[in-house]
Amino acid sequence: MGVSMDIIGSFADDQLCAKGIADLRHAAVEDFHVFSPIPSHHIEHAMGKPKSRVRLFVLLGGITGILTALALTIGTTWEWNLGSGGKPMISWPPFIIICFELMILFGGLSAVTSFIVNAGLPAFNSASGYNSRFGEDRFGVVVRCDAADGDRLEKIESILRNAGAEEVLRDAA
Amino acid sequence: MAAAVQEPTTPTFRDIDRSVLRVMEFPGVAYWTWIAFCFSLVGIAAVLWTRQIYEGMAVTGLRQPVMWAIYITDFVFWVGIAHSGTLISAILYLFRTRWRTAVYRAAETMTLFAVATAGLFPMIHLGRPWFLYWLLPYPNERYLQPNFRSPLVWDAFAVSTYLTVSALFLIMGLIPDVANAREQSTGWRKTFYSILSLGWQGTDQQWRHFSMAYLLMAGLATPLVISVHSVVSWDFAMAQLPGWHSTIFAPYFVAGAIFSGVAMVMTLLIPMRKWLKIEDLVTPWHIDSLAKIVLLTSLVVSYSYATESFMVWYSGDKIEQMTFHMRYFGPWGWIFWVMVLCNCVIPLLLFSPRIRVNMKALWIISIFVNIGMWFERFDIVAGSLATNFNPSQWNFYTPSFTEIMITVGSFAWFLGLFSLFAKFLPIVSMTELKEGITFLRQAVKKGTATDA
Repeated sequence: MGVSMDIIGSFADDQLCAKGIADLRHAAVEDFHVFSPIPSHHIEHAMGKPKSRVRLFVLLGGITGILTALALTIGTTWEWNLGSGGKPMISWPPFIIICFELMILFGGLSAVTSFIVNAGLPAFNSASGYNSRFGEDRFGVVVRCDAADGDRLEKIESILRNAGAEEVLRDAA
Repeated sequence: MAAAVQEPTTPTFRDIDRSVLRVMEFPGVAYWTWIAFCFSLVGIAAVLWTRQIYEGMAVTGLRQPVMWAIYITDFVFWVGIAHSGTLISAILYLFRTRWRTAVYRAAETMTLFAVATAGLFPMIHLGRPWFLYWLLPYPNERYLQPNFRSPLVWDAFAVSTYLTVSALFLIMGLIPDVANAREQSTGWRKTFYSILSLGWQGTDQQWRHFSMAYLLMAGLATPLVISVHSVVSWDFAMAQLPGWHSTIFAPYFVAGAIFSGVAMVMTLLIPMRKWLKIEDLVTPWHIDSLAKIVLLTSLVVSYSYATESFMVWYSGDKIEQMTFHMRYFGPWGWIFWVMVLCNCVIPLLLFSPRIRVNMKALWIISIFVNIGMWFERFDIVAGSLATNFNPSQWNFYTPSFTEIMITVGSFAWFLGLFSLFAKFLPIVSMTELKEGITFLRQAVKKGTATDA
């Protein structure tokens, strides 16, 4: 591809935006990203991306929390073998409480850390085609194209307009 | 005719941004006077705490057998206050309850500052706060590890986990809103919001991971909130002391926590919606929904009081019965009856739809609930200790000026921090309000608005 160009379609509604995305994918256009002021299931389904990997990291975080709590409670008991209240040295019921709390703590920390890493934050550069209205009240679809391919540019513009885009602009990438 | 509570009309996305961002404009003299007043009281409390550290715990009213009193009452009270925030922000999020969108940020902010306030009290109560690290899983000078069979250690884990998870949940939810504020501000505010928003732009990739992480955080926070106040209740229930040693404590404390917390949300929101001019966003419909939760939890708490008393009578345990006799009719009997009046009787007014839309009446009721719940904790903590197993030890406690002022200071600390947040960060979630409106519009289009 030679010189690139972005085509930016601006939608007033997430359902129209999702329709634009579905139409683009139907026309085998895959090189695009979307801006949205709200999380939208319509857009997420239309994008057809796999479920977030955050789930896996939270699971691993939770398991790590439980193992850490077991190591802490059992390990310190072994290190200092001091009985109290006639209870067994390895007292499972109270240790389960520590396991539960550390499972939540490590799971929560994993959720936030994996969200930040997977979402590419902190982002020091603007994603191409960003406009402040996309954080306010408009949904944007930004398609990356070859500037020399006039037919394709027009086809993409027409897909976005037909899906209900209020405005379709070209922007040098 | 009973006043009907109307659902608010749907504003546009721009209306929402305008209303919320207007709140964040630079405040005037009245605001700074209020902040100065709050932090002056905090300063007085800090001086008194310093004196307490220097002179020792004799400056408090703590005397045998009442060695846990106002400080521990404050701790339980503030942890309880925190709970409604997580109820509204996490549990109602999982249930997709629509009215939460306008009030959850304020409730969640309240949670964070309430836990931060609660966390101060074990330190203040310690007398020698430099030994706080004995609660942490780190061996002390004698290479002793914490005793993991002690509910106090469970509490250290539960409260610090709660503080961390609440802070992360709040900060994460703020990111899209702060990014929106960044786009519409200038000068130092733009720099401040740019740093806080981490360069968020709302791309599909960012939202995909955000939605999953937020949902899982809500899923983690839900059992956490129930565990935290259960663990707080076990600080008492695990002991053998009559008045404390009760299996009902965990659910009873959790219900009480939500009851007092939602009342505190009302205490804050009712004046705040007027002063910050967000009456179009936080409407009587939202406050009415909060009032219904207060009413429900008041009934649960009343039932718990009745069950607790019934079990004491039914157990046939003479010592337990004497403790409760003293609780109802002893020198501190008035505290119990004030508690019953505030927590069981006055909230029954909320059965009236007319009262549930009367902001002044609701605000006064919420204050009574706050007073009643503080007294409940005092009665359990100090009342049970005052009349323990051995009548020759019985002794009633009088709070000292230091304890009273540190308690007042904790309220000032909480209100000051909350007021700072409300003015400089979005106190209403713009993103979730917009999401709610989109959902409503689509439901109207599909003809399922009544279910929505």
